[in-house]
Amino acid sequence: MAPKSTPASSETAFNAFNTLWKAYRDGTSDRLKFIDSFLFFLMLSGIVQFAYCILVSNFPYNAFLAGFSSTVGQFVLAASLRSQVNPDNKDEFKDVSPERAFADFALGSIVLHFFVYNFLG
Amino acid sequence: MFALKRVLLLAVGLASLVSATSSTGNSVLVVVEPKRQDDFSMFFEGLKDQGYELTFRQPKDEKPLIAEYDVAAFAHVVLLASETKNFAKDITPQSLVDLLRLKTNLIIALSTKQTPLSLLAPEFSLILPPPGTPLISYFPKRDEPASLVPITPTKRDATQIISDTSKPIWFSGVPQALGSNPQLVPILHAPAESFASEIDGGSADALVDSAEKGGEGLWAGSQLSVVTGFQTLDGARVTWVGGVDLFSDELAQKVGPDGLKSGNAAFARDIVAWTFQESLVLRIDKVEHHRVNETGPSELYTTNDELVFNAYISKFNPKQGSWEPYSGINDMQLEFTMLDPHIRTALPPVRSVPGKYSVTFRAPDRHGVFKFVVDYKRKGWSHLHSSVTVPIVPPRHDGYPRFLSAAWPYYAGAISTSIAFFLFSALWLAGEVRESAKRPGKAGKAE
Repeated sequence: MAPKSTPASSETAFNAFNTLWKAYRDGTSDRLKFIDSFLFFLMLSGIVQFAYCILVSNFPYNAFLAGFSSTVGQFVLAASLRSQVNPDNKDEFKDVSPERAFADFALGSIVLHFFVYNFLG
Repeated sequence: MFALKRVLLLAVGLASLVSATSSTGNSVLVVVEPKRQDDFSMFFEGLKDQGYELTFRQPKDEKPLIAEYDVAAFAHVVLLASETKNFAKDITPQSLVDLLRLKTNLIIALSTKQTPLSLLAPEFSLILPPPGTPLISYFPKRDEPASLVPITPTKRDATQIISDTSKPIWFSGVPQALGSNPQLVPILHAPAESFASEIDGGSADALVDSAEKGGEGLWAGSQLSVVTGFQTLDGARVTWVGGVDLFSDELAQKVGPDGLKSGNAAFARDIVAWTFQESLVLRIDKVEHHRVNETGPSELYTTNDELVFNAYISKFNPKQGSWEPYSGINDMQLEFTMLDPHIRTALPPVRSVPGKYSVTFRAPDRHGVFKFVVDYKRKGWSHLHSSVTVPIVPPRHDGYPRFLSAAWPYYAGAISTSIAFFLFSALWLAGEVRESAKRPGKAGKAE
């Protein structure tokens, strides 16, 4: 690639981002987008809790661990659900139907929340 | 049989309570050479007047025994046979130490001669000068021999034991240098200008020689003691008197060159009062502990509880022969220990209740098995020791707030995650139904 000036490069980066965003919007199924929005919410929630812990107080430390790990654990479970229901990964998860993947996700989440609420108080 | 003996003893004890003076008993064994017994008649009469029952025994007599089957036969033993070299079989340094273990109090007189008793003295941290070297002082100028020394008690002496510090105490005998044992109670020190030396051969050159040897070489000055008490850890008391003549009638009646009467009789009385557990005798009647705003003790306490500790202390009143509440201790401390004192705090007297000492403190933020320890040891006073064990436990699961406002972001995070999970699941399943309904149409296109 030929060297370019800074505004040009930022413009390119913006263009690249736009292209990526467009490709994502057009090329991703609604189901995966739905999962992605859930993941985004979990990430925000985790960031908020971590910032509160650092900036304000980690005092009931068990509460912080419970709250933060519930977001992290839910994120991991949702992410694995996303990779299993993604049609692009069909070859890798031949034995796992999307229904089975969701059942795994739901069971894992219920167990996770059980532990989280036990640890919260 | 044993019970009968107990009852008899109790009856005797009650009967003698009226004139009782000692807190531990009135039976006294006096071991004295028969030819010197009359020299101490005033001392003995004084003891009898106070209510003591004297039993006399010659040093070589076989009976009465000082202890039989490991039970002490007398409450107190006075050994005035200071020059005797051979005692009966049962009076040995070892048996005297055993007597102290049985809480018998001893008065032991020493002399310039080497006897079994002077060999026992080093075991009590008393360092005696060589045999044949009495205490000598040429001051003040007087007609009496240089080895008969008038000693006026000073502030350095045990003023809580000596009742009258104005009259001189005439002393003739051997001084003792004191070791570092904290259980020693020096009662009367030698005058500053006195020294231990041979009476005749004590030339100035010999003195300089011995001074140059340093330390052990010279027994001189006011750091020497002539009458020294010793209190064992069990509370038995033993008093070492450098010369037996201190108790004699002759010195008790003596009038000094300046017309002052001798203080020997009163001083002998003071020695007896301290040694026979009449004066400076304390005991802890009971200790209590409970939480603030409660009255009874608790099986276990929680970390950070506010605790109250009370101790009730009595002092023996020899005149009444009874124990009386005593609030005069101002430097007592309470320790709350688990291996180390986690808390050490003053245990001051409560002004409104005589004999009561109380302190309120917060239990440490540390769980474990703790002890309330009162350990009060002061020279001359009987030792006070009390130790009560209590467990300190962490708060119970319902003993502290579980949900705090500071943690609301975390609770909100966990709850919102759950709600989001349910919403997500519901929408996902709804979407699946919708999709499967549409699928027949779309399926052909996709494939």
